[in-house]
Amino acid sequence: MSDVATDRATKVRALDHGTPPERFARGWHCLGLKESFADGKPHGIDAFGGKLVVWQDTRGDINVLDGYCRHMGGDLTQGSVKGDEVACPFHDWRWGGDGKCKAIPYARRVPLRARTQRYPVVIRNDQVLVWHDTEGSAPDLDILPPELPGVGTDEYTDWTWAVEPIVGSHCRELIDNVVDMAHFYYVHFSFPTSFRNVFEGTVATQYMESKGRPDKTGGYGDAEMFLKSEATYFGPAYMINWLQVDYKGFETEVILINCHLPTGPDSFTLQYGITVKKPEGIDDETAQYISKKYAEMFGGGFLQDVHIWKNKVPVQNPLLCEEDGPVYQLRRWYEQFYTDQADVDPEMTNRFEFEVDTTKANEYWHEEVAENLARKAVEDEAAESVDAGSPPIMTGT
Amino acid sequence: MASFVPTSSDTLEDQRLYTRARLVDVACLDCLATVGVKKNSEHHTSIQWSAEARGQCPEFARRTDGRAVKYGCPRMIASVEAAVRDGRVPIGAEDGY
Repeated sequence: MSDVATDRATKVRALDHGTPPERFARGWHCLGLKESFADGKPHGIDAFGGKLVVWQDTRGDINVLDGYCRHMGGDLTQGSVKGDEVACPFHDWRWGGDGKCKAIPYARRVPLRARTQRYPVVIRNDQVLVWHDTEGSAPDLDILPPELPGVGTDEYTDWTWAVEPIVGSHCRELIDNVVDMAHFYYVHFSFPTSFRNVFEGTVATQYMESKGRPDKTGGYGDAEMFLKSEATYFGPAYMINWLQVDYKGFETEVILINCHLPTGPDSFTLQYGITVKKPEGIDDETAQYISKKYAEMFGGGFLQDVHIWKNKVPVQNPLLCEEDGPVYQLRRWYEQFYTDQADVDPEMTNRFEFEVDTTKANEYWHEEVAENLARKAVEDEAAESVDAGSPPIMTGT
Repeated sequence: MASFVPTSSDTLEDQRLYTRARLVDVACLDCLATVGVKKNSEHHTSIQWSAEARGQCPEFARRTDGRAVKYGCPRMIASVEAAVRDGRVPIGAEDGY
């Protein structure tokens, strides 16, 4: 062996934990379903290291401001909506959706400097999206996630929406899943038979075909479950996952939204929503039930991930094998959202295509599953014969 | 401002190995757009485009459906396959990269 090869083969690999970023990603972030803010009250949403206040005004528009009053720091989320403004519970200062203080009822005039942080809002697919950029740029409407045709009409079920706060992990752990072929077998109990990534501009996609493991239940484990999945991040925090689910020969079109809000340096709020294209000949109630079932299945999938994230350490220098996806290229893509717009390197946004070779992995996994099933069959048989041969009275042996 | 800063210089070398090492230039037989290609195995392919190559590809220029990005350019795929057949792109990984 050459010196280099000897050195490589003997040197102990160290984990580089790196340092977490000092900012939150630039881009569109989803706060939740629009209807959840439509009750005429101010709502508090933890995001970007602080708290936002969200309310609907008399025109039906959703407004988002920093949650704390610029007067004496009162918590606007505990105030009330008066007319189109949110009123602070401390001294009743009234803030408009444009970020300006509109009135201080006990004062002769409002100070000119009474402006607070506002977040530009776009409603997309019945959800509230806000633009966040530490540089304070104007919202980039060109990179909004697309409208989903038919969603919000009678063609699709209503969104089933869930919110899951995650503490102790940076949201990049969630992003890494885009390229993580093998975890679908180990964590989610499916065989990824085909796996491909394409990154370009502000968009990153995973294309996967998979089938459920027959030796597992929970997650996607089910021999009769086949998925064709196209999962695209539009910016740093909002993924649309188009899924064709074939379960026992019954095909369903499912759309899964997987989005998150960073809340601190190592915490974020995961949100996910499911809508199902109503199958022909099925009544609305049944369609909604199917949607709820898929929400439970994918929700369970997220919880399997969460358990891993909560217990792992951050790693800046993952060691990869030939069967792994392009983790470094994905992170290079993700880095653009943490870089000043002027400093975004073309390497971060240039088109990149990667086809994972799943051949060897599936050969091994199918052998492993066959062994698991054989062992289980023997155990089941043994259990049955013990049952059958059990004497009615325990002997204590 | 930097983010996710590595604390070890070895990490920078890892980044280079996984993203840039062993990329072989392949030019499209039709439009001459040149991409970096790596083949870790028969079924694996990694294709790194540059902005210049991307702008040169008439196939991508024709696509307007945003979801069509998943398909590679068929001419480029054919060109890569030809380069592999000619032995210009070696097949096989080196210690996982």
